[in-house]
Amino acid sequence: MAGLLLLALVLFMLPGAYQAPLRRVVRGTALRPFLTVQRQVAERRSWSLDVAELRAKHDSLAAVAAAQMTLAEENRRLRALLGLRSRAEASFRAAEVLRLGIAGAESTFLLDIGSADGVRIGSPVLSTDGLVGVVWEVDERSSQAIDWTHPEFRVSAMTMDGSVYGLVEPRRGEFREEDLLVLTGAAFHSDIQPGTRIVTSGTGGIYPRGIPIGTVIGIEEADTGWRKSYLLRPAVRPEAATHVLVGVRVDEGGEGDLTSLWPTAAPPDSVDEEGAGSVGPAAGSGGAEQP
Amino acid sequence: MTVARGWSYGVLIALLVVIYFGLHLVLGLGDAVPDLLTVAVLLAARRLGGSAAAILGFGLGLLRDSLSLVAFGADTVALTLVGFLGSRSRDLFIGDSLGFVGAYLFIGKWLHDAVYHVVAASGGRWETATSRLLIEAPLASLYAAAAGVVALLLYRLVTGER
Repeated sequence: MAGLLLLALVLFMLPGAYQAPLRRVVRGTALRPFLTVQRQVAERRSWSLDVAELRAKHDSLAAVAAAQMTLAEENRRLRALLGLRSRAEASFRAAEVLRLGIAGAESTFLLDIGSADGVRIGSPVLSTDGLVGVVWEVDERSSQAIDWTHPEFRVSAMTMDGSVYGLVEPRRGEFREEDLLVLTGAAFHSDIQPGTRIVTSGTGGIYPRGIPIGTVIGIEEADTGWRKSYLLRPAVRPEAATHVLVGVRVDEGGEGDLTSLWPTAAPPDSVDEEGAGSVGPAAGSGGAEQP
Repeated sequence: MTVARGWSYGVLIALLVVIYFGLHLVLGLGDAVPDLLTVAVLLAARRLGGSAAAILGFGLGLLRDSLSLVAFGADTVALTLVGFLGSRSRDLFIGDSLGFVGAYLFIGKWLHDAVYHVVAASGGRWETATSRLLIEAPLASLYAAAAGVVALLLYRLVTGER
């Protein structure tokens, strides 16, 4: 008994790099039948979905993919004209999201595509509204990703016009529905207006540039280190994402620019008219104010 | 306990495990599914020795932890401990009534959640551990205990065991 308990504690304290192969082995053996059936059920479930809803989702995803293809083609043409060598462009695969709903799998979800489909660790996960998360573990036919509510989620970000850069991280709300994002590390003199859309900056080597992350709803706090933090209303609620796009051939270094895939204007309802004070995490972090 | 009854009880435990993972992984029902895995360990522990119950808890905990990106190993610790203590509880409490089993499952599940959250929180997530332990865990324990009692009732109806 004591030996087993010790072994379990050792497993818990193992570095993540050693835990991942263990997880993969268990998932690939004991849980394999469940995951195989899950894939088949997901396929069948998609057949029985409301056709109109399915068509709308398909059309949205197809529009994003098609717009990206056009840009890729244009990019290739321009690079050829300039005599630059071509580079690998980002491409995406559609996937179904499966929420596990167990204690250790909060803020994570399973995807029904894996390394055989080109998914790899660090592949960005998007929906038609913006950034959902990033892939953390990959099996041959499935993968596991974290969404932006995960405590370790980070993405380098900027305003649409590129005037302010920072790092976006999650802020836990009193209830999960109140989870928000925060743009940290913005210069103290920066003045980002509520409603400004924040997108990925492309730096950091994970996410291509231009994916919507959220819209500013107010200042969270002014750090003593001459930095400002802005509360963001996320572009995507993870719990609402049932079908996503996974980047399967994103450039090394996240050089792709996806800015043109999304409308430039922020959605009209993106600004909290009641002010940031109505937002859960703000109250718990020293109070928020409108700039 | 006869060999036949031992087998049929083993089938009940196996069914709880299969149903649990089936509802989570195949149907994706998430939070709506009661914690049948802990219920399975607790029910099995009443009929197994301490070591066997701990091994069962370790194995099932590892299975669930394989889906955890947040606190791998925490559930293995919790279920190993709960399995062992569940087995030892026979030395202190004797009873097979549904009321007793319900109370046993409620306390066992709450203990599991307490151990899990304490172990997981040692990785730096104390802020959520307290509220979960005091608010979410009792509700989840009640739900799991009710599911366990229903499963045991069905088992007794099918096998005729009293």
